[in-house]
Amino acid sequence: MNWLTRMVMALLRGSAWLLPADRRVWMRALWAEADDVPAGWRRLAWLAGGLRLTVREAALHRGLGYRLAFTAAAAGTAWTAWSGPPGDSAVTVNRADVIAIAVILAGLPWAVRRVRGPIAGSWLAWLLRTGGYAAVLALVLVKAAVERVAEAPPNNFEGPARAWTGEVIFLVVMVGYAVLILVCTARRSPAAPGTVAIGVATGAALGVLAYVLGPLGFPLRFTGPWPASLYDAAMALGVLLGLCAPVLVALAAARRVDRSRPAVSRIGQCAMAGLWTGTAAALVVAVLSTATIALLPYDSGLRYWASSHVGQWTSIVSQWTPIYGPRGYFGYVAGTSAFAAGYLVVLLLGPLFGAALGALAGRVAGRVA
Amino acid sequence: MAHRPEFSAQTLAVLAELCATPSQWRHGYGIARDTGLKSGTLYPVLIRLADRGLVEARWEDEQPAGRPRRHLYRLTSEGLATATAALAQAPFAARAPSPVRGPNKRRVAARVTP
Repeated sequence: MNWLTRMVMALLRGSAWLLPADRRVWMRALWAEADDVPAGWRRLAWLAGGLRLTVREAALHRGLGYRLAFTAAAAGTAWTAWSGPPGDSAVTVNRADVIAIAVILAGLPWAVRRVRGPIAGSWLAWLLRTGGYAAVLALVLVKAAVERVAEAPPNNFEGPARAWTGEVIFLVVMVGYAVLILVCTARRSPAAPGTVAIGVATGAALGVLAYVLGPLGFPLRFTGPWPASLYDAAMALGVLLGLCAPVLVALAAARRVDRSRPAVSRIGQCAMAGLWTGTAAALVVAVLSTATIALLPYDSGLRYWASSHVGQWTSIVSQWTPIYGPRGYFGYVAGTSAFAAGYLVVLLLGPLFGAALGALAGRVAGRVA
Repeated sequence: MAHRPEFSAQTLAVLAELCATPSQWRHGYGIARDTGLKSGTLYPVLIRLADRGLVEARWEDEQPAGRPRRHLYRLTSEGLATATAALAQAPFAARAPSPVRGPNKRRVAARVTP
């Protein structure tokens, strides 16, 4: 019993650093009282209560739960992405990718904290930061699954240099996403919380819509005239919504800005709203579609569906090839890499496109007002 | 719509205990022993009460022989007023909470019963 008590006491003392400075005095008070508690189970229970106090206070004030969740998610992603035959360049790229992303996501909050302060106290900030990090890790995971097939022999005939170039671009884009998530959820965020919330909600809905309309990045084809017409109408509506959504979100953000503030500030909020709409849409559609592409080599039902609505999937061909039949466009023969590569462009251009439309809308709204 | 009580049953038990001898400084184990609360429940309650300015805390002035200095607690004047009001308004069930065991359980219930 004594050794167990001593061990719990040592654990309690060792975990005191988890607490903020103003809470450590309470932990010292609990240690001091332990001498008064009768030795045995009662003293052990007293000290165990101290451990409970440490975890509770650390979770409340230091975001311990968030850090543990991130560590678990990063470890899970690394474990899943790590597997593969030795010597395969895709496996090496995946491993480097996972390590780099984990370091970036763990280290950037420290850098952003110095400039923009700690995370804002609102539940929205926590939700956005957690959701954003989860989406980035999910993207890394499904991308690793895609590249395990796309860059495996004989598809890697272009050599590892091309894979590394793509990897560097992907990492730069992910740094941009992480910085945006961290800055806009910090206490001194340049974006108003309402602006971010409305942009993210609209962008996520747009991302889901884009995924439904083209889950593999290519337009769907239907054999019957009615389904084809319906799909064409839905596509037209989707494109219209894609163009209008950042503008409408920016106008909604402009209405929330105090009219006494300078025009630049209003345009900035509008651009932020558009930026978040484009960012959320790109991230959601990239994660969902890349996950679907990752399943193609393993799911025969999905491949059958793809062959009748998109095109034929092959594990060998790297470039996509349009196929034209007697009645025009028929579909594609495409490898996994061809299906997936487009999403890097979406991730890169989505936020820029949204921000540009948002800023434009803010400028026009300012002139009209 | 039901009125949400301001304090939990455990907090009311601590307030009742401190209210009994408002001028006296109490130590954590003494409060835990008399209310039947475990340390993992008692200290968060004390922390929240101190954060709200209802409880003041200090360390023992002199170093006692054979044991470390203890952290002592008592109600502030605002804490005393709040505790008195809260205990008077609390329904009987909340005033004699189930976690309260030991010698003080009867005392807590008796003190707050009109």
